[in-house]
Amino acid sequence: METLLPLAILLIVSLLLCASILIVTQLLGPKNPVPSRLESYECGIKPESGPHVPFKSSFYLIAVLFLLFDVEAAFFLPWALVYKESLAEGPALLWALLVYLGLMAVGLFYILQKKILRLN
Amino acid sequence: MTVLDFIIAGLKAIVILVAVIQVVPVMIYVERKVAALIQDRPGPNRVGPFGLLQPVADALKFLLKEDPIPLYTHRLLYTLAPFLSLIPACLVIAALPIADKAILFGKEITIQISDLDVSLIYVLAIGSLGVYGILFGGWASNNKYSLIGALRSASQMVSYELPLGLAAVGAVMVFGTFSLREMVLQQEGTLLGVLPNWGIFYQPIGFLIFLVASFAETNRLPFDLPESEAELVAGFHTEYGSMKFATFFMAEYMNLATMSGLMTVIYFGGWHLPWVTDAQLLELLGSQNLLCLIQVGTYIFKVSVFMFLYVLIRWTLPRFRFDQLLTLSWGSLIPIGLLNIVVSAILMYVLGGK
Repeated sequence: METLLPLAILLIVSLLLCASILIVTQLLGPKNPVPSRLESYECGIKPESGPHVPFKSSFYLIAVLFLLFDVEAAFFLPWALVYKESLAEGPALLWALLVYLGLMAVGLFYILQKKILRLN
Repeated sequence: MTVLDFIIAGLKAIVILVAVIQVVPVMIYVERKVAALIQDRPGPNRVGPFGLLQPVADALKFLLKEDPIPLYTHRLLYTLAPFLSLIPACLVIAALPIADKAILFGKEITIQISDLDVSLIYVLAIGSLGVYGILFGGWASNNKYSLIGALRSASQMVSYELPLGLAAVGAVMVFGTFSLREMVLQQEGTLLGVLPNWGIFYQPIGFLIFLVASFAETNRLPFDLPESEAELVAGFHTEYGSMKFATFFMAEYMNLATMSGLMTVIYFGGWHLPWVTDAQLLELLGSQNLLCLIQVGTYIFKVSVFMFLYVLIRWTLPRFRFDQLLTLSWGSLIPIGLLNIVVSAILMYVLGGK
């Protein structure tokens, strides 16, 4: 409670900040929507086709890989928290780390060797 | 919890938030002056003495501009996007311990908005929410440049979050805690009698990874590919004008302040002056509040050094190519981050403890 209440206050204050930014620009700014001003900005040329162009599938792969590796990296955090204290009872956690990291390194080596990060 | 506690919590939140927002005008001025210095031109010098009021003029101009919503945009997401990147930037500062404590109204007040047990994870988690603002902004803008800029930005930010997390793991191993406040308290005093007892001497490689990744996380040069103006006009904020455009920049500069603060706290001893312990200082000054002021000053000085480094690097290095950027993260920083963990673990085992 003592730690969450200030966070709630901060959230409310930042929401108010956002609302005030939105309202103040609406109040102060002139309103003169010329048709050409509302067109999308593509260097003065009329936009060809829709904006949602096809893009490289690598972006999708990066997102998927990030999910995998971020979950794996998240498992390090509780391990790291107790590692220093566990050293008094021998290197059991060190071996656990080496096995886990070995598996992660195999995965990383595989994706690097597949060269999926080559975008051109 | 009494009413006084409630008021103190609210005041702390407002004062620290307003103080961090003040970073934005200062950084705009510093950035423009340093750019001018490096490019051998005078820089802003018309508004006020030495152009010091230039950021005020900028802000007024942003506020007074028309704020049109372009045709065919997704209106709701287009309007929300800048605020989706500003709100996380405001929220992360809650976890940063700025100084130890002051005594006001007969109460001990910690100079930190919220002393979470898991503040490191909180910063990493909330900080990464900022990517939604950029992604929505780019997607909702109905513009090819925006879309590509947003995609680049998203993949860049997720790619560099991993090295950031791995560097943080190294720090957690050394300090044995997730609490940033606890980390700072452990960095008091000296190491081997000569060096200050700072995290950087335990985790030098971790610090380098953290530094590089923080540049990419905040979309700064040499990693500002989301808005590389030569290719993408302005990237995800091409279609934004007026204060919405400025909101993206507010978020960027506030993230910069947070990242600098995080590096100060984890690797450079937070509020501690080198070679002097808080107890010695307190004896010298004789007042907890005076000590607190000195701590705040030390913290601000350390953060300013990092912010200046960001500015210097922005105007010194050229931009990376996008595949180079990804290879740097996946091919270098992540393997080095993993190795750093192994080496730290083995060293900690061999040396026993720290």
